[in-house]
Amino acid sequence: MNIEIGEYKGKKIIALSGDIDMYSSPELREKIMALIKKRIHTLCVDFNKVSYIDSSGIATFVEGLKGMKSFGGRLQFFGVPPRIMDIFNFSKLDRVFEIYGNIEDAISS
Amino acid sequence: MRESVVITVPSHPKYLSVIRATTITFGKLYGIREAELEDIKLAIDEACANVIKHAYKGDTTKKFIVKYKIEKNVFTIIIEDNGLKADIEFIQGRDLNDIRPGGLGIHFIRKVFDGFRFDDHKKKGNRLILTKYLHGNQ
Repeated sequence: MNIEIGEYKGKKIIALSGDIDMYSSPELREKIMALIKKRIHTLCVDFNKVSYIDSSGIATFVEGLKGMKSFGGRLQFFGVPPRIMDIFNFSKLDRVFEIYGNIEDAISS
Repeated sequence: MRESVVITVPSHPKYLSVIRATTITFGKLYGIREAELEDIKLAIDEACANVIKHAYKGDTTKKFIVKYKIEKNVFTIIIEDNGLKADIEFIQGRDLNDIRPGGLGIHFIRKVFDGFRFDDHKKKGNRLILTKYLHGNQ
């Protein structure tokens, strides 16, 4: 997995690519937690190039969401591939994550 | 096992990608549909991750075995380790409405496989036998 952190129209963007699994999720967790510590108000995660996610990747985002909510921050997803959306739906996480079609929809929400 | 593929995998999470690739390659040989194969890949990955996390408690110096076989439209995967016996928490998972980190892997496994059992005859470690009836494949 590759993690790129940047900004777009003043919002922090985490662009991910590749597989988010038990091997790669600790690094992702570390980066998300560092941003939470800085109390970044909105984190937008770009899923466009994510090819796979397992339960450890999902756990990382659930933990991240709880961390963001602890200070009123927002964790947003966009560009979620259908296969990964199916996994979120099955896990009932589509109800708790803010999921948008594209970056513009996410940042204008 | 006749016509089976057997791989021995180090108990390090970086090798889970090898298991995923093997699962896809094996499934394609038998014409399993892509969507179904993706579900199977996730379920096997979760079962193997549980071996590393629970049976070996994160010890990356161990090994485990994954066996694949398809016979008469039944896909069987056997995962064997020499670690701690699986406990009830692993087998049940969490309530899906209880949103918190962890406890999802077992749901992915049970969603995909028709059969899920630990072989009681294995004295040391675990032998997890997963079976799936294939419809409309091959």
